[in-house]
Amino acid sequence: SGELYCSLPNPRNVHFESVNMKNVLHWSAPEGTGDGVLYKVKYAVYGVGKWIRKPECRNINRTWCDLSSETSDYEEQYYASVKAFLNGTCSDWMETTRFNPLTDTKIDPPVVSVSSTDRSISIILTAPEKWKRSPEEESISLLQVYPGLQYNVSVLNKKTKKRWFFSISNNTLVVPWLEPSTAYCVSAQIHVTTPFLDSGFSKELCITTLKDK
Amino acid sequence: LGGDALLPAPQSISILSTNMKHFLTWSPVIVQGATVRYSVEFQGEYEREYANGSWIPISECALTTATVCNVTDDISATVAYKLRVRAELGATRSQWGTTKGFFNRAMTSLTPPLLRVVADGHHLLLELADMGPSFQFRVLYWRKGQESRVQQKVVKEVSSMVHLDTVEAGAEYCVKAQAHVEAIDRSSSFSPTQCVRAQGDTSL
Amino acid sequence: SVTEIRAGFRAIKANIQSRDPVRSLSILSHPQSLHKVKSSDRCCITHQLFTFYVDKVFKHCRTEDSFVNRKISSIANSFLSARRRLGQCHEQNNCPCGEESTEKFKQILANYEGLNVTSAAMKSLGELDILLDWMEKSR
Repeated sequence: SGELYCSLPNPRNVHFESVNMKNVLHWSAPEGTGDGVLYKVKYAVYGVGKWIRKPECRNINRTWCDLSSETSDYEEQYYASVKAFLNGTCSDWMETTRFNPLTDTKIDPPVVSVSSTDRSISIILTAPEKWKRSPEEESISLLQVYPGLQYNVSVLNKKTKKRWFFSISNNTLVVPWLEPSTAYCVSAQIHVTTPFLDSGFSKELCITTLKDK
Repeated sequence: LGGDALLPAPQSISILSTNMKHFLTWSPVIVQGATVRYSVEFQGEYEREYANGSWIPISECALTTATVCNVTDDISATVAYKLRVRAELGATRSQWGTTKGFFNRAMTSLTPPLLRVVADGHHLLLELADMGPSFQFRVLYWRKGQESRVQQKVVKEVSSMVHLDTVEAGAEYCVKAQAHVEAIDRSSSFSPTQCVRAQGDTSL
Repeated sequence: SVTEIRAGFRAIKANIQSRDPVRSLSILSHPQSLHKVKSSDRCCITHQLFTFYVDKVFKHCRTEDSFVNRKISSIANSFLSARRRLGQCHEQNNCPCGEESTEKFKQILANYEGLNVTSAAMKSLGELDILLDWMEKSR
């Protein structure tokens, strides 16, 4: 195939890093090579197997390549591969393991918004969206991708230091009968039982209940 | 000792199974002045019916000096299993001692959950001891005196303080729970009932 | 349960899939995806696939790795008990087998027979997540 004689050490640790199905191929530079190494990338759909080059990642010097668009169908599985070039020589193609966007992605915590009255707080949770090519493209919530998605919500009373946990399936939670003029801190996590996927807990969002009427 | 027949097979082989944790136990084989070791294997219904009755060794219990083996990770389907153990002393091995009959994890004994009920203002909270990944909990609670209006909540994940419900201050509420294992579709008996009085003012 | 099968598979996925070097062939998902199966045929094809794995696949997946063998046993026995529950639907005629699922299952068998038995079995085992993803999605 007109390939050069390949004696360059191989790129290392070629793998997908995926968050909310934004699927980015990452690798480490070949051992012992300084600057000047260039790379090219190809990918394949499992079961089809034909390698497809990624033009935007041809002769690049960075060590990542965004393949989200090419791997956006999460009913398929994929491989990707990287080759390095330096001073007229090259490495072998180095492949990922089989990548399943549905089970191998990580999920961001939900977005939490909180409002309060004097004696209650209302929590609204929004699941992250699946990666999309452009803002104009229709949004797909991860709730549609993972029907069994649930939320674990933690509510901390800053005065008493007591923390309560709620597990809910819908995305709103009202906690009534709280103490007036008291700070409550809310954090939430997404929990998918199968395939087993948990987000981290969101950053704590604190709100103070209003003065007693 | 030479040859297999001289080393007696382990006896009194049985399975102790509680709350989906399964242990194989047997009586020690005594050989004066020597340390006898044991190896354990299991066979599921699949191995019996579709894989020529093959046996699978449990590496954590290979050449062990203990007379108990945790087989929980291998008894991981709701089918009939057989287990066997043999004694080994140097190159000498006993005959296999095999469990009598079959063991199905659906036979595990289930104990009621340990729980602690807390009233925090108008809020009824529950602390449940973790019983393992197979477990979820069916929680019943009611206002004392209104036993006909029992409410139910299924708690799938044990976290420290689960919020059960918002209740009327000053009233007394009672709670009991049972453990449920979906994989074997069985539940424990209920825990003893615990009652607490919701503090705070009485107006709702 | 399916959750236990998933946990078992996740523990050996990398090991099993690394034994399948053939990227250009799939047993379950090509040329026609499982996701294209009509909902009315899903019960039947699920039952057929569970039988396929129990009868044909697991017995040819023995490895030199004790941990992997134990996980395969766990999955195989879980398939057996899951198929038993599916079988009850089959007996109560709640599991109709339409032309489409029959055709799809024929294609899966043809894909399987197109490889030598060990490669086909290992590839099928490595595609368990394709089956589980499809079952979860269509639940």
